[in-house]
Amino acid sequence: MRMHDVVVIGSGLAGLFAACIAAEQGKNVSLISYGAGALTVGGGIIDALGYTDDGKPVKNPSEAIKGLTGKHPYSKVGIAGVEQALQAFQRIAAAEGYPFIGDSTKNQWVATAIGALKPTCLTPKTMDGSALKEATKVLVVGFEGLKDFYADMVQKNLLNIYGERKEIRAVTTELPFEKGRDVRDISAMDIARWLDTEEGRAHFAGQMKQYVKPGMVLLMPPVLGTMPNYCVQEALERALGCRLIEVSSMPPALTGYRLNKMMTSYAHKLGVRFVTKAKVIGSHIINGVCKYVVTTGCGREQKHYGSTFILATGGVFGGGLATGMGEMTEPIFNIDIEVPKVQTEWSHKALFSDGKQIFAQYGVEVDKDLVPLTANGEKVAKNIRVVGRTLAGYDYCYEKSGNGVALATAYQAAMSIGGAKK
Amino acid sequence: MNHAINPDKCTACTMCVAECPVTAATRKFRGPKMTGPALDRMRKQIQDDDFMLDYCSNCKNCDLTCPSGVPISTLNMLARAEYYKTHKRKSQADDMLAHGEKMGKLVCSLPMGSMLMNMGMSIGKAMHMMEPLGISGKAPMPSYADESFFSKFKKIKQQSYPKKVVFFPGCFINYNQPEVGVDLVKAYQANHIEVIVDESFVCCGSPLVSGGYLDEARENSERNTSIIQKWISKGYEVITACTSCGLMLRQEYEELFPSVEVAENAGHIYDAMEYLAKLYDEGALNTNFAAIPGSLIYHAPCHLKVQGFGRPTLDLLSMIPGVKIEEADAGCCGLSGSYGFKADKYEISMQIGAKLFERIKQSGAQQGVSECGICRLQMKNGSGKDAVHPISILAQAYA
Repeated sequence: MRMHDVVVIGSGLAGLFAACIAAEQGKNVSLISYGAGALTVGGGIIDALGYTDDGKPVKNPSEAIKGLTGKHPYSKVGIAGVEQALQAFQRIAAAEGYPFIGDSTKNQWVATAIGALKPTCLTPKTMDGSALKEATKVLVVGFEGLKDFYADMVQKNLLNIYGERKEIRAVTTELPFEKGRDVRDISAMDIARWLDTEEGRAHFAGQMKQYVKPGMVLLMPPVLGTMPNYCVQEALERALGCRLIEVSSMPPALTGYRLNKMMTSYAHKLGVRFVTKAKVIGSHIINGVCKYVVTTGCGREQKHYGSTFILATGGVFGGGLATGMGEMTEPIFNIDIEVPKVQTEWSHKALFSDGKQIFAQYGVEVDKDLVPLTANGEKVAKNIRVVGRTLAGYDYCYEKSGNGVALATAYQAAMSIGGAKK
Repeated sequence: MNHAINPDKCTACTMCVAECPVTAATRKFRGPKMTGPALDRMRKQIQDDDFMLDYCSNCKNCDLTCPSGVPISTLNMLARAEYYKTHKRKSQADDMLAHGEKMGKLVCSLPMGSMLMNMGMSIGKAMHMMEPLGISGKAPMPSYADESFFSKFKKIKQQSYPKKVVFFPGCFINYNQPEVGVDLVKAYQANHIEVIVDESFVCCGSPLVSGGYLDEARENSERNTSIIQKWISKGYEVITACTSCGLMLRQEYEELFPSVEVAENAGHIYDAMEYLAKLYDEGALNTNFAAIPGSLIYHAPCHLKVQGFGRPTLDLLSMIPGVKIEEADAGCCGLSGSYGFKADKYEISMQIGAKLFERIKQSGAQQGVSECGICRLQMKNGSGKDAVHPISILAQAYA
């Protein structure tokens, strides 16, 4: 029987990172996924903790995380675990040739696609928050025909933030792309593919040269290459003599795409066995131990045996939690999640209310080791760990902690399994 | 219509667009989200006029990526079949490439047919006679075997065992690479399994679907479905060694031509390597492998990745002493059935495959491995290194 030390379910950041860390520990790991994880639609940066419960920006995530109590996943992992996780992530990113900058004691502010600023912790070099901060001049670079990025709007919003402190201009560059009915609309990915080529970079640099002044940073949609490396950014910075910085963008977000490629590549190098397009529909738990999970795909069910199971299937949006009127469950291990029977009590009346949303904090309750608990507080099975958004106790969207929690809990889960068995 | 075909399951997350190899290679293709679910909503109201449909290679990376289970590529294929009912085709290539079975039958039945055909293809290429037909003169057309698998199989003296499986060879193994089928029989015999071959099977229909010849594909589906019904009612499972045939029989029939029988059959059809891995899980696989020193690089075909059974080839070949095997993880090979043979698609196909070719060249592996015959052709064409079906490695280890 094919048996894995660790079976990870879900291929978002939490699942991929858990698989990599477990494999680094010498475990043989299988990763089961149905469709791509949400990484590709995400911004590809690591938010650790951006805002306090009362909406104040966090300067030092480590300090703020220490103060978290109760059900918050960070309080289960502890600050040492969080810091180790972020460092392990940075080690992997560096090993893959796509190092992330920043550390857990200091948030950076990065520009969004509409020219707002958001706090985050670790970023690729292409989103370095300090570059925007230090620049005296910002040139927002839009591309003719790119519908997902409005340079003028970004400029206007940045002016609202920085006022007179920075000179902020916008320019729209031309693309030597074929036009007309025979070709589709231009996306950020198309421009990134063009800048992957030497010809594209020369053309772009040639156009931009006239605008560049000392102390200037070029703020662009995410187009600095499709691959998880800095070749495009470095080549253009050399050619133009100024910094080039990307904002987060509409999906498919290049920055998330690169992060996904980086993690998947590392997992393959470690020999993680991928089971793709297989939907996990159930599990077999006997005497408090999960023996296998069951997948469907192409006409029949298949059992996947493992010593430890790491659940990283996401929340309601990712399909990791299933909801009905007045009820919520985790469908693979069949864990009931306590929610109000009256649906209107799940949320604040205002969707964008000035506080954490109630429904956003629903999820699987776990103990210190991230082992899932039933409503009675009993372990569902001692060899299951729950990581990432499936967990209860935090609103990642409000507090800006999504990828941070994913990494911290995935690391904790993978490290808690014990010594090498390979 | 099948309940699974619901464009509204698409949440427009665009991950399929990010992962579509054709979208990456050319802006002549609108991308899977648009030609698939987005336009499908329009198609419910008005007749489709999207010529960009022609660029979908049906490689199914969109389906693989979709977290919502939308059969995007099948939406494209259904729309393409409709489109070509009222629109002129670009060339004769669609017709020729969709009906490879006819050619295969003809060539393998004539004395010296394969020799003349292969020679004809080389001369045709050299004289630039292929392009007017819409077929690229540069693409690696598969050569025909001098004897079909059906014919070779009859000469194999099998040991009879109570455990029997029915092998669906498919056109490529039958007419182009019969040795893969012969190796399958060897490997299965080594596991005390008798292989049955039913010559009444017809082409699975995959090239017909990709070409937009849906009515003919339906006929093939009905015929194969009833033959499979006959065998599974006797308690036999059906084995394929081509991942595109397997996908067609197990999943695309259900998406395109759903019926109770098709659904029932799907549970009894196995990929050749998947079936052996299942034997291993049951403790029934013969693991008495002779050592084969060498390093291999494995390319998982797109049509395998989308079937949800993991990577049995990696599981099994890594059990053979001496074998070092790594996964290429370099995306689609680009050829995608008959796509890359077309004159207007050849460059796209090579551009898609470039990453895989580079990966194989860089790997230092002596040989490529892949379940798909078309992938193997493209691997060889792009990297210069030979590629074999994993069952051939197993057969060698059992020898």
